[in-house]
Amino acid sequence: MKVRVFALNAGLLLVGGIVVLPFFWMILSAFKSNSEILSFDQSFLPREWTLENFVSIQTKLDFFRLFFNSVLLSVTITALSVYTSLVGGFVFAKYTFRGRGALFAVILSTMMITWAVVIIPRYTIFRSIGLTDSYASIIIPAVISAFGIFMMRQSMDSIPDEILEAARIDGASEWFIFHRIVAPLSVNAISALSIFQFLWVWEDYLWPYLMISSEEKQVLAVGLTTFRGQYGTDYGGLFAATTLAIVPVLVVYILFQRRFIAGAASAALKG
Amino acid sequence: MTIQTSTRSAHRGETAPVTQATRRIKKPASELWLRNITVGVIMASLVLLLLIPIGIAFVGSFHDWNPLNGRFDFTGIDNYAALFADPTFWRASSNTLVFGILAIAGRVLLGLAIAYALFSKLSRWRTFFRTIFYLPTVMPLVAVAFLWTLMYNPQFGAINTLFGLDVNWLFDQRFSLLAIVVMTIWKDFGFAVILFLAGLYAIPEDVLEAASVDGASAWRTFWHIILPLLRPMLFFIIITSMIGYLQAFVQVLVMTNGGPGTSTQLISFMIYDQAFVKYNFGYASAIAFILLIITALLTAASWRMNQSALDTPRRRRFTHRSKEKTS
Repeated sequence: MKVRVFALNAGLLLVGGIVVLPFFWMILSAFKSNSEILSFDQSFLPREWTLENFVSIQTKLDFFRLFFNSVLLSVTITALSVYTSLVGGFVFAKYTFRGRGALFAVILSTMMITWAVVIIPRYTIFRSIGLTDSYASIIIPAVISAFGIFMMRQSMDSIPDEILEAARIDGASEWFIFHRIVAPLSVNAISALSIFQFLWVWEDYLWPYLMISSEEKQVLAVGLTTFRGQYGTDYGGLFAATTLAIVPVLVVYILFQRRFIAGAASAALKG
Repeated sequence: MTIQTSTRSAHRGETAPVTQATRRIKKPASELWLRNITVGVIMASLVLLLLIPIGIAFVGSFHDWNPLNGRFDFTGIDNYAALFADPTFWRASSNTLVFGILAIAGRVLLGLAIAYALFSKLSRWRTFFRTIFYLPTVMPLVAVAFLWTLMYNPQFGAINTLFGLDVNWLFDQRFSLLAIVVMTIWKDFGFAVILFLAGLYAIPEDVLEAASVDGASAWRTFWHIILPLLRPMLFFIIITSMIGYLQAFVQVLVMTNGGPGTSTQLISFMIYDQAFVKYNFGYASAIAFILLIITALLTAASWRMNQSALDTPRRRRFTHRSKEKTS
């Protein structure tokens, strides 16, 4: 038995090591000079620590402008879409009306529509109504999320109707019930959806690339790719930029993490 | 008391005339208002952001469509005919198949093995491991793709350095697609770990106890009891992975740009390439439609398989659980 426990933990530790190795390697490499990165004699730790890479990305790319744009968009879209998902989930979980099942099935089935089918017409539509190069073009398609509505409904299904009825009898308005009873009880799902949404906006590449043309409005994901194109050999800068691009998502993950796993799992369990 | 029972039964949708009347009176205007606005907004966004674009894409796939010179000429099924004669499309299809099968298999097997190891109670630091394994999943894909491009670098990349190899992973036709698959599994398996763990915790403890009392071996318990009970989760992961991997393209864009040759062309990358690099919107729409049909067929097929395989055991499981609750 003892041998098995040891073997199991050793195995997990090995896989865990493989999983985190790229992160450590990236962060440490960001502090190496370009000549050290390209030298034949490689070492895990930097021989000489330098901040040069972090300085250079700002001078070459206006990195922090792009970074700020991405934060702004991610926070805005996450807040808006989590709220609309809450309302949508509430209506689908707690109200009965004709066509509810059919409409929910339609919402579910939209999750398998690939971006590739809709992005071409969307691109032409947004261009023809003159919405290009504006944050509205990024925000509008993301505000209503089929996945979010699905997830919130799943989570609210387990809230007993009796609580709502009791509140109604006590004279609580629907708005009060939603904000003070149902929303606080959905905090696990809110945490999970917030992490997902933040990540999706943060990593979204193609849509901002198509919509945003001016450099000062561009987002970080697109900035990273153009950065590589223009400074193909600046590996140190690329290490530093990638490291920094990961930080905000990490912060959001740590903030919401405690409730996240329960929320993520509940959506799938009942799915 | 009377009011409560009547509203409660109304919620269950019973059709006694008295309850209906009560319900109509009880339903406040604010509920109707909230409901109507919400459903209206959702339906409007479905129509404007999905249905109309799908319609336009469908019509567009029968046209020679180029937004740069404003061309939109009807060409019948020419795009589809050209597509089936295009060797790149067939290469992209087989690549997508290989990529999908390997990535799903890797994600499911690794996820299940690790979740089971964490579940087995032999392991300490469960939360620590769970956080570690989940970390890549919450990282932005564009950044992760860059990180792995650097990992695969033949000169200074960690993989060659670590294993003492001399392989140009992303620029060698033999390894390029595999390299992208490995990166994708690394990024995604943590989600499967979390979901399988949740599924494992949902198994009633007395089922596992009964198995051990009966003297079933660990392997038999896993194969005959745990795995069947994990089936809904397994199918959920397979279906969502399938839909996700059919659309995967950022990895390819960042890491290889479809090359070398056509070795890492995926269907979704081809759509991007045709639409936004070559501006063949009609041709790209045709590919997109084929992809949509493939996705729908595969999802429906998995769904059917899941339902038919699941029908009886699942019901048994739920009756078991409800009995447990009442006792």
